[in-house]
Amino acid sequence: MPGTITPDAAVRGTAGRSPVHSLLLTLPIGLWGALMFSRSLELPGPAPKLAALLTFLFMIVLFFQMMRTKETHRWRRIFFVALGLLFPVGFIWDLITLRGSMSIAMGQMIGGDTPFCFLAIPMMIVPAALTKTLIFPGSILPTASNPHAVAPMIALWLAATLVLGKGWCAYGCFFGGIEEGSAALVKKPRIRNVDPRWRWAPWAVLAAVVLLSAATYEAVYCSWLCPFKAVTEFPEVRSMQSALQAGIFGSLFIGLVLVLPFLTRLRTQCAFFCPFGPFQALSNKLSVFEIRMDRTKCTDCVTCRRACPTLVLDETSVARGRAGMSCMKCGACVDACTKGAVRWHIKGTPLTASPETARLLYLFPAWAFATLFGGSIIAGTLTKLLQLAH
Amino acid sequence: MCLAACGPVLLPWLAAEGAGLRDTGGLLGQFLAGRLAGYLVFATLAWVLGLALPLPASANAALFGVVHLALAAALASYAGSTLRPRPAACPGGLSAPRSRALAGRFRALGPAALGFLTGLNLCPPFLVAGVRAAQRHSLPGALEFFLLFFAGTLVWFLPFLGVSAVRRFTGLRTVARFTTVLVAAYYGYLGVITLGGALLHAWHDHA
Amino acid sequence: MQRLKAVLGYTGAVLTVAAMLVMPFVLFPLFQRGVAATGVEVDPVYTGGGIARTIAKDGYRIIVNQPVRSRALLARPAAFVQLAWAPAGALPARITDEVDLDGDGRADLTVCFEVPADTTAALFVDVTPAGDMVLPLRRVSSASFSALIARVGDRIVVRVPLATR
Repeated sequence: MPGTITPDAAVRGTAGRSPVHSLLLTLPIGLWGALMFSRSLELPGPAPKLAALLTFLFMIVLFFQMMRTKETHRWRRIFFVALGLLFPVGFIWDLITLRGSMSIAMGQMIGGDTPFCFLAIPMMIVPAALTKTLIFPGSILPTASNPHAVAPMIALWLAATLVLGKGWCAYGCFFGGIEEGSAALVKKPRIRNVDPRWRWAPWAVLAAVVLLSAATYEAVYCSWLCPFKAVTEFPEVRSMQSALQAGIFGSLFIGLVLVLPFLTRLRTQCAFFCPFGPFQALSNKLSVFEIRMDRTKCTDCVTCRRACPTLVLDETSVARGRAGMSCMKCGACVDACTKGAVRWHIKGTPLTASPETARLLYLFPAWAFATLFGGSIIAGTLTKLLQLAH
Repeated sequence: MCLAACGPVLLPWLAAEGAGLRDTGGLLGQFLAGRLAGYLVFATLAWVLGLALPLPASANAALFGVVHLALAAALASYAGSTLRPRPAACPGGLSAPRSRALAGRFRALGPAALGFLTGLNLCPPFLVAGVRAAQRHSLPGALEFFLLFFAGTLVWFLPFLGVSAVRRFTGLRTVARFTTVLVAAYYGYLGVITLGGALLHAWHDHA
Repeated sequence: MQRLKAVLGYTGAVLTVAAMLVMPFVLFPLFQRGVAATGVEVDPVYTGGGIARTIAKDGYRIIVNQPVRSRALLARPAAFVQLAWAPAGALPARITDEVDLDGDGRADLTVCFEVPADTTAALFVDVTPAGDMVLPLRRVSSASFSALIARVGDRIVVRVPLATR
């Protein structure tokens, strides 16, 4: 089970690191975090400064623990769940402050005030390539009423994809933490055997929404299928169609994001539905980082497969000795393996090369991105909560 | 336009079949034959109705709704026949030979049926062609117009032959079958909304 | 060969770290400028299309946009023309305007709507066609992207569906 198995560190060869060594390795992240959060010092009032400090310490302590324990998943998960919980709080807060409602009116949509979400990117590519138009009711550049414009969000996603590949799903996505938190609430799954063919469903959702969006010139996933509309924003319910849409959003959120992760201990929305996952998985081909299995040490105990929150690991991939294309490098399988057979790896290097070096070289940019992006979201929400408390 | 309009139906279905180049060509041929049949039926209807009073908008919409629903049913039926695991002979259920016979019957009719329904499915150039056909002086003229329209758009279907390249990826075939279900659901919704709207309008007009 | 692959692998890994370090200062602004430089625009179904002409009225103006026809092939929304009354703060309590859409000197439609003092109150519009260019609207608020009335900034925007798609 993800994060709850305590492997034999001596057998795995990953006994903990000394506090001093861990502190030295944490120093670069500390400097990076200080640089990123220093801008908060210029904001008026004590709330942004306190929020920045708390977030900075939060990120530093988690990274320190990653260094000290040589484990990744359970510390990353703490950050990710915090992000998943705090992002909707801050976002909804902004909506209520700006508009008085979570729903977006037609006037706001045609005025270009819809905040852009990265989930729309796959659907926009074909229409943009054919006609140079974006099928999204937002603004290309930030405006006073819409700071979350298309260009900055796409730029951020592009840059993050270059660095993380599908690691976006483990370190960047501000929705995934909700499911991860729900999945972590119980120790044992109530539903164990999930038909492995369901792993292909997100690819089908991606294909269907891309084809239908190209034919309808509408971001079909956003209009009809996004579960996270339930915790962000949705079109005003003023007709049968919009009521149906709201019903679908709510049902998918409750089912895929809350209930099924609780029953299966899996990130079911990510594993079985989200079209952005397979889209992002294509970028994994560019990343030099991967998860590999040392077949000489592997005893086929299936612990790693049970630990994977998105069912990426199956019999075939373990036999082949490498995680599939959809691996988001969360580290759950590596931490779960009691034989040290599952390891971080840099493509091109021998399998016997130091897995810890590979892990560090991946974690530094991944955590730097998490601090920059997720950390700023966490600090922003904490600022609002602290201001409310005052 | 042809790629974008027919793509949601054709791409997942051809990918799900997982056939080689020759067989994909055969399937595409059957699909196009069904599409041509759909065009010729529509040409006949458009010309005949063009002589009569124009159809009310609600009747048009009802027709579109029915076509969408039929297309959704055809796609869902196809997806169901390929996604369901083959049942062993069991009392009270379908025997394996019978379910194979059903699947086989679909395989014979399916491509043409999908093509026929897609042919009736009204993409904008098709609508323009329909208006032109209705204005022709004779039925052979209307049929000739649609034949030429069909021939002119034929070339845009050639890229679909490239789908045969993905047949070695078994995962992709499963993806394609799931996609067919989703596209069927979308057409089903479109059909219900269109037909429901048409019936509501007609009831309103009469009331 | 094995050594070369290993060197390339580690180089790639180090470059990933370097890319992250420069992301907020180089990559992000570069990509943002790149996206803006592609010249992509938001679909006119959302923006309402380009401005065709402006009609001066007593204390306000009516902005007539180019007709917008969706490029969709399935579930195509109706074509529409967008009109905007600006500035909203200078409008009388009730608007009844005849509008010439195509500039031929003849009114193509009459638009009627109330302008409530409360800017958050719902708006409703009636459109009566003068010819066969547009479809009528009866007490429409925000039915669809093709038929609506809404406040957008300091304007009141009305979209009227065209009779032909």
